[in-house]
This record gives sequence, C-alpha cells and structure tokens, in this order.
Amino acid sequence: MILRDILVDGSLAAVAGIGFGAISYPPRRAFKYIAILAAVGHVTRFCMMNYLHLDIATASFFASLAIGILAMWFGKLSYCPVTVLYIPALLPMIPGMYAYRTIFDLVMFMQHLHESTFAEHYMQEMFSNAIVTVSTVFLLAVGATILIFIFPKRAYSMTRRKE
Amino acid sequence: MKEIAAFIAEYAGCLLGSGVHTSRVIRNSKRIGESFGVTVQMTAFHKSIVLTVHDTQGADVYTEVVDIPVLPISFEYNSELSSLSWEAYDKRLPLAILWEKYNQIKAKPKMPSSLILLLTGLANASFCRLFNGDWISVGIVFLATLTGFFIRQQMQRRGINHFIVFTVSAFFASMCASATLLFDSTAEIAIATSVLYLIPGVPLINGVIDIIEGHTLTGCSRLIQAFLLIICIAVGLSFPMLLFKNSLL
Repeated sequence: MILRDILVDGSLAAVAGIGFGAISYPPRRAFKYIAILAAVGHVTRFCMMNYLHLDIATASFFASLAIGILAMWFGKLSYCPVTVLYIPALLPMIPGMYAYRTIFDLVMFMQHLHESTFAEHYMQEMFSNAIVTVSTVFLLAVGATILIFIFPKRAYSMTRRKE
Repeated sequence: MKEIAAFIAEYAGCLLGSGVHTSRVIRNSKRIGESFGVTVQMTAFHKSIVLTVHDTQGADVYTEVVDIPVLPISFEYNSELSSLSWEAYDKRLPLAILWEKYNQIKAKPKMPSSLILLLTGLANASFCRLFNGDWISVGIVFLATLTGFFIRQQMQRRGINHFIVFTVSAFFASMCASATLLFDSTAEIAIATSVLYLIPGVPLINGVIDIIEGHTLTGCSRLIQAFLLIICIAVGLSFPMLLFKNSLL
C-alpha cells in the first residue's frame, strides 16, 4: 500500500515536472532527467511529511536538497546547466493550496471588514497561509541552490564537452 | 576588438533575456572574452548591460551598452549557449564561426506550441491529483488549463502586456475550473490548481540565486517582477472567488 502511494505520487510529480518544464523550452535531452528529479523530489517530501511527520517547509528543504544533489550528477550526463534541470523539478512542489488559501482569506477578509470576529479569523488564516507559502518557496529555492555553492567548479562546467 | 565586444553584447543580452541567472551570464561572457585573449568586465541590470572589453595590456578599451531583449524563457538557449562558451574556450573558435554557431542555435525550431499546451494540461491535471483532487476535478482542471494556456499563448503572440495576459488567463482558467461546483467534487482544489501553470517559477528561483550570489539588485528586480505576476494571478483568481464565495466556504 505504502509502495503504491509512493509510486503514484512519484509518477504524478514526473508528469507535472515535464509539463511545467515544457513551458520554458528545455532541450529535449533534459526531459527524462527532469522527470526523474521531479519524482524523486516529490516522493522524498511525501515520505517525510507522511511517515516522519515533518512540516511542509522542512520537508521541502530536504527534498530540494535531494534534487540538487542528483542534478549535479545528471547535469554532467546531459551537458545541461543544473538550473535547467532542477527548476522544472521544483515546480511541482510549489505549495499551491496554501497560496490559494492566502488569496481566498484575503478576499473573505475584505468581505467581512466590519464584522470583527470574522475579519480577525480571516486575517489570522491569511497570515499563517502566507507564511507557509513564502517559507516553503524560499526553502525550495535555497535547498537546491546550496549545492552550487558547495561544488562551484563542478556546477559551472556542466556544459563543457570533453573530447 | 569592436567585433568581439559586439558579439559578447549580443550573446549576453540574449542569455539574460531568456531567463539565465546573472552570474552564469557574466561567467560565460568572460570565458568567451578569454578565448580571444581579452578581458571582459560587465555590469548587468534588469533591462540593460554595460560591458567593457580591454586587451591584457589595457591599451585598447571598448565599451558597449545594450538593452536586454524581452524573450520567452528558454532553457534550450541557456544550455546550448553555455555549451558554446566552453567550445569557444576549448577550441579557440574564430569570431565568424562563433557567429554562425550562435545563429544556428537561435534558428533551431522550437517545440510546437500545441504539444506544450497538451503537456501543460496534463501537468496541471496531475498536480490536481497530487493535492488529492478527485477524478472529476482532474478532468475539469485539464480542460481549464487548456483554455487558460491557449488564451495565454494567443495573447502573448499578439504582444499584449504581460500583466494583462496573466490576469486574463488566470481569470479564464479559474472560471472554467469553477465548473466543478456543479458536481459534488473537490472544487476548492480544482480552482486552486487551475492557475498554477502561470506561477513564474524561473524568475522566482533565479531571483533567489542572484541574491545569494551577491547580485542583489538584479535578484530583487527579478523577484519584484515575479511578485507582480503573482499578484496578477491573484486578481484573476479573485473574481470567481467573489462570485462563488458562498459555495466555496
């Protein structure tokens, strides 16, 4: 059962990664690596959140760290800069529901401006959703990028073709 | 010297315009300069680049200021043009061949937009499933994304302002997704995921990379641009929310 959940989660994330990647015109050879990275990243986060009960921001950080590490290796295989591989792979992890709730709470806050209990409730909800969204996105970006700073030489010569 | 500067200016402008983070552009340009035995110094802003090329003795100096063209984000240019800079460095290619290869890369046929449309639809639909949406929602999100993304493509082809494109396309996508309210299904998840294909992920992540690497100004301007686009998405999304707020609660 657990294995099935993981497989479903991974393959959905792979499709999402490929689709979101396609919007930014990656080179064709990059697609399979993007799919693997997206799947690995999302599965890592899924397991951490469901089985280790970590919060979404921390789990996202470790997932994007895993993506960053793999992208270092895949970049060398595919002669693509690491950012080309990991940016599409990070997109399926964007906390869409929290972002949506933030906007929804903002709209509702405006509607109940003069009823203080409702207004307070929606404002509180809006801020907590916004904090989750922003910190998750920030940690996603940082997690994958850290690897570039640890291995600058390697990260900067991905596209060099050795004869 | 003048020709070298002209090539590097065009090259760097194209890279920055197609969504490559600043430090990579600067590194690639310096590498090409090195292959001709000249030193390149450059400053990048959000809309223009200032670059100076001088030979090793510093006797000959040439400066260019170029506007950064507005291009669609292209990872293909990112990787192929980075590759080109290494090739120039390793093989010491003459300028004529460099221009030829550069134009070849730019002339490469792009992925057909109908295929991208389909892939985006599938991506958003699987995204909906990842958020535990039911199958009705998944189907409707697929159609909503096709509609929204098609509108975006058509409007972008006509060169309409970016912010308007994002607002309108978010509006139509979320309106279509609101059709889930007619069924007994996970409407909230459907509406939330229907606009996610618009999230400007590339400038967001590039902005963070730029800031961490010390190109704070360009990083901040990228992030501000990305936030403006996100606000546009939010505006487009808030219309169906206002219309249907009672059924969404």
